[in-house]
Amino acid sequence: MNPTDRSESQAGSELGWALAALAVSPMALGGAWVRADHGPVRDQWLAFLKDKVTPCVRVPFNVDDERLLGGLDLTASLAHGTSVWHPGLLAQAEQGVVILPMAERLDASVLARILQAQERDTESLPARFGVVALDESLDDEKTLPSSFAERLGLWLDLRQLSPHDEIFTDFDAADIAHARTHWLQLTLSDEQWFAICQTAQALGVDSLRAPQMTARLARILAALQARSTVEDHDVVRAIQWVISPRATVLPQNPSQEAAPPEPAPPEPTPPDPQDAEQQDNNDSENTAPPTELPPLEDVVLAAAIAALPDKLLDRLTLNPQGLRGAGSQGARGVQRHSVHRGRPLPPRPGRPHQGARLHVLATLRSAIPRQKLRTPPKHGALLALRPDDFHCHHYAQQSATCLIFAVDASGSAAVQRLAEAKGAVELLLNQSYARRDWVCVLAFRAGQAQVLLPPTRSLVRAKRALSGLPAGGGTPLASGLKLALEVATQQARQGVTPLLVVLSDGRANVNLQGMGGREEAQKDAHALAQACAQQRLSSLWLDTSMQPDPLAKQWASLMQARYLPMPYAQSERMADAMRHVVSGMRS
Amino acid sequence: MASTFPFSAIVGQEDMILAIQIVAVDPSVGGVLVLGDRGTGKSTAVRGLADLLPPLKVVAGCPYGCDPAKTAGVCAQCSAASLGKPKVETRPVPVVDLPLGASEDRVVGALDLEKALSQGVKSFAPGLLAQANRGFLYIDEVNLLEDHLVDLLIDVAASGENLVEREGLSVRHPARFVLVGSGNPEEGELRPQLLDRFGLSVEVKTPQALDLRVEVVRRRDAFERDPQAFRQKWEAANEAQRKKIVAARKRLPNLDLDDEMLHLCAALCQRLGTDGLRAELTLMRSLRALAALNGKAKVTRQDLQRVAPLVLRHRLRRNPLDDTGSDARVQRALQEVVGS
Repeated sequence: MNPTDRSESQAGSELGWALAALAVSPMALGGAWVRADHGPVRDQWLAFLKDKVTPCVRVPFNVDDERLLGGLDLTASLAHGTSVWHPGLLAQAEQGVVILPMAERLDASVLARILQAQERDTESLPARFGVVALDESLDDEKTLPSSFAERLGLWLDLRQLSPHDEIFTDFDAADIAHARTHWLQLTLSDEQWFAICQTAQALGVDSLRAPQMTARLARILAALQARSTVEDHDVVRAIQWVISPRATVLPQNPSQEAAPPEPAPPEPTPPDPQDAEQQDNNDSENTAPPTELPPLEDVVLAAAIAALPDKLLDRLTLNPQGLRGAGSQGARGVQRHSVHRGRPLPPRPGRPHQGARLHVLATLRSAIPRQKLRTPPKHGALLALRPDDFHCHHYAQQSATCLIFAVDASGSAAVQRLAEAKGAVELLLNQSYARRDWVCVLAFRAGQAQVLLPPTRSLVRAKRALSGLPAGGGTPLASGLKLALEVATQQARQGVTPLLVVLSDGRANVNLQGMGGREEAQKDAHALAQACAQQRLSSLWLDTSMQPDPLAKQWASLMQARYLPMPYAQSERMADAMRHVVSGMRS
Repeated sequence: MASTFPFSAIVGQEDMILAIQIVAVDPSVGGVLVLGDRGTGKSTAVRGLADLLPPLKVVAGCPYGCDPAKTAGVCAQCSAASLGKPKVETRPVPVVDLPLGASEDRVVGALDLEKALSQGVKSFAPGLLAQANRGFLYIDEVNLLEDHLVDLLIDVAASGENLVEREGLSVRHPARFVLVGSGNPEEGELRPQLLDRFGLSVEVKTPQALDLRVEVVRRRDAFERDPQAFRQKWEAANEAQRKKIVAARKRLPNLDLDDEMLHLCAALCQRLGTDGLRAELTLMRSLRALAALNGKAKVTRQDLQRVAPLVLRHRLRRNPLDDTGSDARVQRALQEVVGS
């Protein structure tokens, strides 16, 4: 057996453990956030889950309130002449789990209802269901809203697994049933409580829900193994599953972090044979006196670091808010036609579904002329209503706008003009605040483009992202446009109208691969500018070069963007000009 | 509702506790806005509110929970029937959740479809605003609330009355509630108009001291293990809190601010350049409530220093991009006006 095989099967067994723990009490753990592509691995996992947990209720992403929470069954009510109620999906999930496929696309209102139902029940134990959110989002896409993800205890990532890994567990139904009745009686020692809280703090997990879930999980794990005490390794395992994936900061050197104040050595001594030996023993760097075993917190912290997700550092430097998420749930799926809200439109025939409300007047109006043709209703009702009479409310709604700023921070543009461009963006942000627009800031410089700020309404964050923007290097115009186009498409997919504002001098000299060379760079940028025009992306090009530059103007016309040369503009004037143009584009 | 986490068992978060106690004593202070990180016990504190408040006497069967002792500001049925002596029942103070994705129908109320279809009767099915009358309306993540709901709330919170003119209905009913909102300011801003409807605002953070964190988590755990026993253990403390609130309410009408204090309030608001006079009014009311809560006969300068940040923090005229702490500005003004 080669080492990779072993580690993979270990991943399978870890998942088996997680599933068994989830089966013991889906409500205590809140559920699981499962990041996986659609495929055999996820199918295997789900089959396993369905085997262990009943009932498993699947909630499609287009569920309406009535099915979710229960409500009046209109057709049946008409047929019987009395109101017929049907229970909702959430009520059916009693004691089991609710499975949400494509949870990342789920409407904010649906999530809010599920959360509310779950929350109300955890306040008055026993809670009634857990939630398994299946998330298929790619790396650069929006994932679950963080307020929702936070309430799900286990964060599992199945994307690393290959289809050959078998998910298995040694626990059978009897073990799980035993754990279910016993886990609440187990207790954690003072030391273990401190270890959990300290690890959470060191990893920057501020929410106190995480330590609570960890403690519950540790107890469930101990109960699964039919033990009457919670051992330290249960705690370590629980921390790895619950707290590590939520980490927002890399802990300071654990040796400094957890060293007890008095016996701490003045400075870390160079490793001597004794130290090395100890590292082998307990797999943790620590500079505590070699005669003592390391304090529990040390071991726990080291284990948690080992389970940290990849690219954490990248993500942290890219976005100072770390994993807190963009919180974009407010404007999910804003449609131009809505059945919920907005300016009323004439009612349309159709059954009430998807939260649409029956328009009673229009329904009656459609039924009355046909009364003579219909057999009179049996149960003493005055009108014979048929489901075809139903009319529903419709509304027109304005869709939200997202301003995407693509800022050229390269050496050629930056030095003189970047500060001014930043000022202009800031002023425009001020105006977009008044209009409640979303903003997104991305910058391109030195071979790559970065999203400095994912779409948000928080202008403080927008400002912070801008002020920390460094300058210098080549001009990867193509990469910048590519990223802007990606963000814009994503926004459009969510029903938000994107507006692109490019601030650049247009002197592209880095191609898509990040290689220098004017010719290649121009060719790539040319293709992308055309792509922007093809996607009909409304855009505005602010020329930041010292003199109005025919090159920038050429780019703008390629993109079918409006062009504004801004030689030596005060940022106030620049913003003013932008405001006029932007409001022109919106109308 | 026997199994909410007991209010008195909440660890730390003094500002939030104080603000909630103040609005419990005098609801006319306006709402409370709680800004801060997730998992800091915001919702727990709000749901525990019912612990603090003595049950309400209401007209039996009234969907709006009208006060039997009043004849003005009650719903249409109750004011029509107010000549006779209405039947009275007691209900716990309503604490109503307004979910983010709520539809307008659900919030304001709408035509009762069931009755309309089965009995052919045009009747009004009251919404969340009706439920929340004389109680609390809690909005988690209030900064993500959709604009059309915000507009609605702004209007109702100001007038204390919900006016429904739709689907052939014309209903007017009292909706006087204390707005309690919570949210994370990093995720979006609140409209200034809505901010203004909140009387007090507090910022909560996860306690940084390890001991406190452990204590929070352990109490929560003890509660989950045996909610009944845990509540019993804290029942005495809850009862004491309740008595304190009731006593403070009795004391409230006799408390008044002297001229010097009023001048200080006005000077403070003037220095900070708050819009309108709502800041002064709220400051005055919450000062009285605080003094009543502490069992004092007179409002002192210490009270002002304690309450001013809660009242003024969110009312400063500010640039949305300026993230210098408003707390610092309030403290500075306090120093200058009140002295130390």
